[in-house]
Amino acid sequence: MINLAYKDIAHSYLKFIVTAMGVGMLLGIVLIMIGVYRGMVIDAQVLLDDIGADLWVVQENTLGPFAESSRVHEDLKNTLWVNPEIDKTAALAFLNLQIKTPDGVMKRVYSVGYDPHGDLPAINPERLVAGRSIEKSHYEIVVSEKLGFRLQDKIRLGRNIYTVVGITKGAVSSGGDPVIYVSLKDAQELQFLYSNARIRNDRARGLKVDADNHLVNAVVATVVKGSDPDAVAENIRRWKHLSAFTVSDERNILTKNVIETASKQIGMFTVILVGVSTIIIALIIYTMTLEKIKEISIMKLVGLPNMTITKMIAQETVTLGVLAFIFGNLFAHAIWDKFPKRVVLEMDDAWALFSIILVASILASLFGVYKAIKADPSAAIGG
Amino acid sequence: MTNEVGIKVENLTKIFGSGESEVRVLENASLEVKKGEFAALVAPSGAGKTTLLMMLGCVIEPTSGKIWLGDELVWDEDHWSTPDTRRIRREKIGFIFQAHYLIPFLNIVENVKLIPLVNGWPDEKAEKKAMELLDYFDITDKRDAMPSQLSGGQNQRAAIARALSNEPKIILADEPTAALDMERAVSVVKMLRRIVEEQNVAIIMVTHDDRLLPYCDKILSIENRKVVTTTQSAHLIV
Repeated sequence: MINLAYKDIAHSYLKFIVTAMGVGMLLGIVLIMIGVYRGMVIDAQVLLDDIGADLWVVQENTLGPFAESSRVHEDLKNTLWVNPEIDKTAALAFLNLQIKTPDGVMKRVYSVGYDPHGDLPAINPERLVAGRSIEKSHYEIVVSEKLGFRLQDKIRLGRNIYTVVGITKGAVSSGGDPVIYVSLKDAQELQFLYSNARIRNDRARGLKVDADNHLVNAVVATVVKGSDPDAVAENIRRWKHLSAFTVSDERNILTKNVIETASKQIGMFTVILVGVSTIIIALIIYTMTLEKIKEISIMKLVGLPNMTITKMIAQETVTLGVLAFIFGNLFAHAIWDKFPKRVVLEMDDAWALFSIILVASILASLFGVYKAIKADPSAAIGG
Repeated sequence: MTNEVGIKVENLTKIFGSGESEVRVLENASLEVKKGEFAALVAPSGAGKTTLLMMLGCVIEPTSGKIWLGDELVWDEDHWSTPDTRRIRREKIGFIFQAHYLIPFLNIVENVKLIPLVNGWPDEKAEKKAMELLDYFDITDKRDAMPSQLSGGQNQRAAIARALSNEPKIILADEPTAALDMERAVSVVKMLRRIVEEQNVAIIMVTHDDRLLPYCDKILSIENRKVVTTTQSAHLIV
């Protein structure tokens, strides 16, 4: 038996391919949207994984440095360390900054301050693509490659000038901003030390100038082997009047509290785009069926069964869906790295989308099939 | 011509609408065209030619009466003999239209063999039949051409080949020459005449062109919602 769908497609293949490419671009955007969501989830956990702590100890009644403002004393790391179930501790300071890139563009970055001589370095050595980690207590900086700096470049931050000693790849904040690393002392100065003008002004007003910059945003800790991080966290919460979170708590906070709204937004866009794609496929098939309605009337008049005609329309729809899916993947893979934030394209997502598009295509073809079945064979006779 | 029934109609009535909007197109109309007979159906526009053709083609339901196609009573007063009227069309009837109405995305040979294939013929048999018909109509060299690449006359010949591909004993032609000039119109009617004689089929051809009537054995005209049959000797034989 002649495959009518194949013949019809072959007859106007250029039009069909261009249509499939159009729908494919829409599906590509759907894949990118899913990839952006995946990227957000991964970005949210980059720092958490790089630091590799079991516990995050923050200001009482706050959710920690990524979700809420938190300040604790730096020496809390020593207080915690005496706990026999704690192995290593480190104080960390986090701060959002604007930094001027070599091409003169101001970029938002996320600064992580850590003690370069401490037990828990914040930089994941696997992310270092050039140079080294911070080794001095002052004026060294490690930057993300996204910022465009080279080793030994000078960067002005606050009152001081920093030298680029290392370049990382893939280190981003939960918001997707590139991360820069400075020593804890520099981070504290950047965060807590007022400018000279401000100090003079405060003195003139008779205000006490708070010179205490030995504050940090969180103290992280690892537990000794065999200890239960949940139990240690509970113990810290009970006796130290602090909030303590295990790494899985922090992960939940990051993925649920911090990026939940953004991910819901992306989810909504994705659902809408899938819906729009389905409607567009349905409209295309419906229009293609309308264009052939005379031929369909002739086919019915000369005796072709409904099943043959239905099969033709369904096969064309599924072919359009499959081609659009292929073009969508090609499109998504061609542009994913052009996005400023991380886009993660996973095959599982692609296959899930393929299943949805397959079902949607078959449902969409029902409009065309309905029109074909309703076509009046007598329309073929007469002028 | 044989004495076998090709198409037979008894007391066929077709009423559209009801009440004040009722339109009686045909009322107790009867006709008979035997196998090997070529009948012309003539009537003014709106008299019911196409409606009659559609009822004979099992496309629209008559209101009452009886229709035989060959020896099969296909419409008996108020019902078709089978719910699958397309099967009747596929197996018994060949249609020819004003325009060729070939399927534009199939080439000529595919257009011709489509119905036999749907009827379950093996591909080789359908291909052989299609090639015989293309040869018969002298368009063998166009077998792989698309309809858009052929002239109007060549397409109409391909359309007639398609109508014959399922070896029907009945051909219903709805003004097959309307879109052609006189020379090509005569050529098409001569072909139909040849088919009637060589393949013993019954043909009803709707036409407005009196110049084609001499090629027919019978003239069916619709007058006062009835079919009046005038038998003649087809004196312009090919």
